Amino acid sequence: MTLSPAHTWRNLATLFKAGALFGLFSANAFAAVAAKADSPICPAATLNGSQHFGVQYQLSGAQHGTLQLLRRQAQTAYFNPGNGVGEWWNFSVAEHPSFIRVFAKQQRRIDYYMGDLRTLNIHVSQPEIESFAAAHLRSQLRHKGAGSCADSQVYEGDYQQVHYRLLWSDSLQLPLQLTTEHKGQIKQWQASKIMPAREVDMLLSRWQQFADTDYADIGDNETDPFLAQMINQGFIEHSEHAVYNSNGQPMSGQHIH
Amino acid sequence: MKLKAIVLAMTTALAALALTGCGDDGDTGATGTAGQNGADGQNGADGRDYTAVNQWYTAGQATVANASETSVSDPKGRAKNIILFVGDGMGVSTLTAARIYQGQQRGESGEENRLSFETFPYSGLVKTYSSNQQTPDSAPTMSAIMSGVKTKDGIVSVSDDAVRGTCTSGQGHEVMTALELAEIAGMSTGVVSTARLTHATPAATYSHSVERNWEADSNMPQAALDAGCHDIASQLIDFPYGNGIEVALGGGRSYFMPSSETDPEYGRAGRRNDGRDLTAEWTSKYTDGAYVWNREQFLAVDTSSTHHLLGLFENSHMQYEADRADDGAGEPSLAEMTSRALDVLKQNDKGYFLMVEAGRIDHAHHAGNASRALQDTVALSEAVRVAMEKADSDTLILVTADHSHVFTIAGYPVRGNPILGLVRGVDGSGEAAATYTTDSNGMPYTTLGYANGPGFGFGNDPMNTDSYRPDLNLYDVTDVDYRQEATVPMGSETHAGEDVAVYARGPGAQLVTGSVEQNMLFHVMNYAADLAARAEANQN
Ligand SMILES: [Zn+2]
Repeated sequence: MTLSPAHTWRNLATLFKAGALFGLFSANAFAAVAAKADSPICPAATLNGSQHFGVQYQLSGAQHGTLQLLRRQAQTAYFNPGNGVGEWWNFSVAEHPSFIRVFAKQQRRIDYYMGDLRTLNIHVSQPEIESFAAAHLRSQLRHKGAGSCADSQVYEGDYQQVHYRLLWSDSLQLPLQLTTEHKGQIKQWQASKIMPAREVDMLLSRWQQFADTDYADIGDNETDPFLAQMINQGFIEHSEHAVYNSNGQPMSGQHIH
Repeated sequence: MKLKAIVLAMTTALAALALTGCGDDGDTGATGTAGQNGADGQNGADGRDYTAVNQWYTAGQATVANASETSVSDPKGRAKNIILFVGDGMGVSTLTAARIYQGQQRGESGEENRLSFETFPYSGLVKTYSSNQQTPDSAPTMSAIMSGVKTKDGIVSVSDDAVRGTCTSGQGHEVMTALELAEIAGMSTGVVSTARLTHATPAATYSHSVERNWEADSNMPQAALDAGCHDIASQLIDFPYGNGIEVALGGGRSYFMPSSETDPEYGRAGRRNDGRDLTAEWTSKYTDGAYVWNREQFLAVDTSSTHHLLGLFENSHMQYEADRADDGAGEPSLAEMTSRALDVLKQNDKGYFLMVEAGRIDHAHHAGNASRALQDTVALSEAVRVAMEKADSDTLILVTADHSHVFTIAGYPVRGNPILGLVRGVDGSGEAAATYTTDSNGMPYTTLGYANGPGFGFGNDPMNTDSYRPDLNLYDVTDVDYRQEATVPMGSETHAGEDVAVYARGPGAQLVTGSVEQNMLFHVMNYAADLAARAEANQN
């Protein structure tokens, strides 16, 4: 089963839900973060075509939070500074992407190899990961003309019962602003900060130092308190399977599409 | 007891095993002879030879001594060679399901099929509990098989006098393994695994560690390094007995590489903080040695001139058999590794000891993914078949598992029902029913399932509100990536505590029968090949 782009977007949305234990977001992380409704930051022209930068997104509206997208060539990571959880993809060997889940507070990592991703039924789309899950979406929306930043375009339209408005940066190949409206509920992701390459390097090299465990080895490490938590409470996967909360209940609907 | 004399002669870290005090042999077996007094023992609390006082060791020895007096009995030492196969996590339900799976892959009904080793003349049941856990992990179970001594969970070939993770607690309590005895005896030895070579099961054949996770020095606390404990990877290269291990094939490359080097396949950094490049040390230590890291290099090795072969085919574990064809650099199969290992080992007139592990059956089960577990079990069966063809009749072959998993074969499927499929029963006339069998809420279910694990609930997918189960009509449950349902939600499925099977053929195989303690398997190997006596004789 291949993950459709829409599915990837849903997964980002799924991770966003309150109650997720090991998703990029947790409810607590949002409480302290105030929403910002300013216009998005525009990337400097020098970033045009760069593959070494970061973008900090602010989520406002029905839900609040901060999410950083880090890019270093074939590597793309999503990091929530609020709860210290990150998801780090490496597409250097495109057919066999590697995936690392980062837990900055515990200074731990879980590394996923090809077979691990397959047993979890994770078939990821590189364009979706690299585009903040907007690559396919953009093709489904109407082009409305140039946007407020240089080298930016506005797209708008309905896709799977959700109304989208997208401000797309041609130079970064990423959204600068993405607004969704579903049943009267409005959420907005907005680029609030462009992170310099050295900040990206600093984060990635710090994660590189964290104690790592292969996903395959978690089951044999029930005495490690951190891993025991992983075993007993489960994790949020990029998968239709095994998405449940700390009570073991499947997380209910509330799809964004 | 003869082992004592051997141990006394060693000048390595294991010399701490050398013993004082107990002048008589304390051996309850029929064949033991009195040993020499130890002169300079400095081991643990009692200063006595564990082979005389360790309850696990002596009890297993006694069982073999009794069994050896039964009517069908090969004399001690009849086996020149030993091949030990271990399916990590390969419980009896895994064997049954894999047998059916293999048969169905051939277009047969499946149930009547036999895995290669199910044709062996002797078999038994093995009690797997460790000295401190009802349900164990691979470290104490493989330690029991390799040394004759049960120990605590997480501990690798050190007796249960030790405390897990405390370096000093294990010093002087290391237990001698069958592979070490074989090397001392002048035999050739090999270790093959689809897991990392530093993973608990292969590690228990050649290393001693109070913590299974001390695979590279970077995994160890400074206090343990300061206290003189050594990481598992370095113990493979620094192996002190005989002329060193002849064949070591598996995964775990990064544990052998310095952090200053990057992996040839993944570009990731090595894990060694001590700066040692253990793969380079292998080829400099052994002038007849070779190091390979992909299938092409592996197949190009000239086994007539290469007498020490190190193959590290992955950064971490090797691929699951189901994914092996997609590996970037290319990996040999377990059967190919077994075949080439035997090519190298068979050249020694004094015989050989080979351990082959299917290391990833366990991982697929932990992930709740039955298809991959079954395919890796079939790969083990193929490796055993190669050994059956290549090994001479003076070879004892054992096939067993370290522990089981909470994996079940449920319902009343009709004969020939796809083992990965939904249960379809029989109708009133005994023929295949027209529809799937359903649960109390009218929902179908798969034959294979888990008592716990990540397969609980199916996330946001349509769910029957009465049964709280997904509608499996909507899934391709036979897909290789399909995750079977689990009853209790856990991020990782767990091991199980019931007995595992052991199969045997060759000289001494008759000792494998009934229900036995896991540590007894060492004594079977020791009796069949007379390892301790051969080791002693070779020292003189
Ligand atoms: Zn396990």
